[in-house]
Amino acid sequence: MAAPNSATLESNQFIVADEEYDEDSIPGYTLPQPSPNGAGPTTPGTAGAGKGKGRAPEQLAPPSNVNELSGRIGTPSGSGSRSPNTNKSQTIAGVRLETRYTGVDSLDEPVTTTLARDLLSIYSKVVQVLWPRRKGQAREVLRDWDLWGPFIFCLSLAIMLSINAPPTQSLGVFTGVVVIVSVGSVIITFNAKLLGGRVSFFQSLCALGYCIFPLVVAALVGTFVHILLVRLPVTLVALAWSVWASVNFLDGTHIETQRILLAVYPQCLFYFVLAWMILIQ
Amino acid sequence: MSGKYQTLDVNEEAQPLEFKSFLGQPDAAVEPAPAATSSRRGYTTDRPVSTSFWQVEHYQKWFDVDTNTVLMRCLMSMYPIDSHLTGPEGPDLYGPFWTLTTLILALFVSSSLASSIASYLSSEPTDYNWTLLSVAVGLIYIYGLAVPTGIWAVLQWSGVQECSVVECLSIWGYGMTVWIPTALLCIIPVPLLRWGLTLLAALISLAFIIRNIYPILATAESKSVRLFVIVFIVLHLGVALSLKIVFFSYYVAKPIG
Repeated sequence: MAAPNSATLESNQFIVADEEYDEDSIPGYTLPQPSPNGAGPTTPGTAGAGKGKGRAPEQLAPPSNVNELSGRIGTPSGSGSRSPNTNKSQTIAGVRLETRYTGVDSLDEPVTTTLARDLLSIYSKVVQVLWPRRKGQAREVLRDWDLWGPFIFCLSLAIMLSINAPPTQSLGVFTGVVVIVSVGSVIITFNAKLLGGRVSFFQSLCALGYCIFPLVVAALVGTFVHILLVRLPVTLVALAWSVWASVNFLDGTHIETQRILLAVYPQCLFYFVLAWMILIQ
Repeated sequence: MSGKYQTLDVNEEAQPLEFKSFLGQPDAAVEPAPAATSSRRGYTTDRPVSTSFWQVEHYQKWFDVDTNTVLMRCLMSMYPIDSHLTGPEGPDLYGPFWTLTTLILALFVSSSLASSIASYLSSEPTDYNWTLLSVAVGLIYIYGLAVPTGIWAVLQWSGVQECSVVECLSIWGYGMTVWIPTALLCIIPVPLLRWGLTLLAALISLAFIIRNIYPILATAESKSVRLFVIVFIVLHLGVALSLKIVFFSYYVAKPIG
């Protein structure tokens, strides 16, 4: 019961953390309130009801530490006295940490849920690209970029074009499309950066990749319909849509108006190459 | 009496007051410095003054051009009477790179369209030869980017000091501009017209290159450096001939009409 010397207190801290984690799952348990002059006498009275008395000195660790450790490790959120807010910032050993509960516990969810969430994220980005909403939070969708969408669109475009190509050249077409899409978007991003635009590199890659989507649709149409009078307007509309959608993302880059055309032109060139390859397949 | 004391007091007070004005002076002294060392057009003023060469900002000074400047340079390269690179803005790298890339695209479009027109007119189905695209990429980028860099290295080695690699790239890159309309016009399947257009384009671009590179060569001390012009002419005519043979030679299998 009496406060031990500081040396034993230090050595006991790890044990305290483990024990505390066990007791955290007990519903009625209340955490010790932080008090500056040793919380030793009060904690065993509340917590040690069904436990042995031998653990009583272990509870003498500084209460603030106990709080933090259990707060970070313990997943059950229903443990009584802990504050229910999702963002908590703590100071551990002089380092300020901030933990956020993102609302999703992705460790023990089924794989289908994970895949569905990724597909939904790709879908929401495609919608944002095809019909850009200028205001509100929808524009922030591309802020958490991913390269899954560009990768999928690039691969599907390459596969569709290489299927339609003559068998001896299908490998070359596949390689060509993949190289054009990947290298082209990197070059366009660097071009916008070099012209003085403030562009996040991967965000720009993500946006340019998602803007391929209309052309993927055009390629899909072209795979099944071989009449030129159908393919030509579809491809032209898809090209215009792609260019328009990608130009929309130049809004936030702060490129001067005298040279905005210099940033737009490579994008037109990029999508025109792809559209032309779709057209002559 | 009191008036004199007052003036002395003011003078003594002026020194602490001047100390206050020192706080403003560093700002005034630093302010013109970035403007002087930054870009010529003053747009990218927040750029660091000294940048290492793997940073993007290092290359921004060669992309500091406006749309009008690039368009004017492209047009002037087709009318090579006056040297266009002597403007106040100096050579840029945007124009050369995208001129070459556009030329590749134009070659791709024109040769594929010409092949499909030829197959339509001769009524036998042919597929486009996709390797032409990679040939175009290789040929144009090597002649437009690698060759000027090599020429710059050779010129440095032979004692021409007033030649920067950006200038060489700019000359050769803008010089290829005239091939873009030529490639699109060469879709027309008339052999004589194609030969004429190719010859015209070769002469115009050659004149542009020589017009711009010769003053640089003339700055060298030894006269023999000027003989490099012959190498440039031979190289350029070789590239023009290979462009003609590889890309502008889709003919109808049987004569029209």
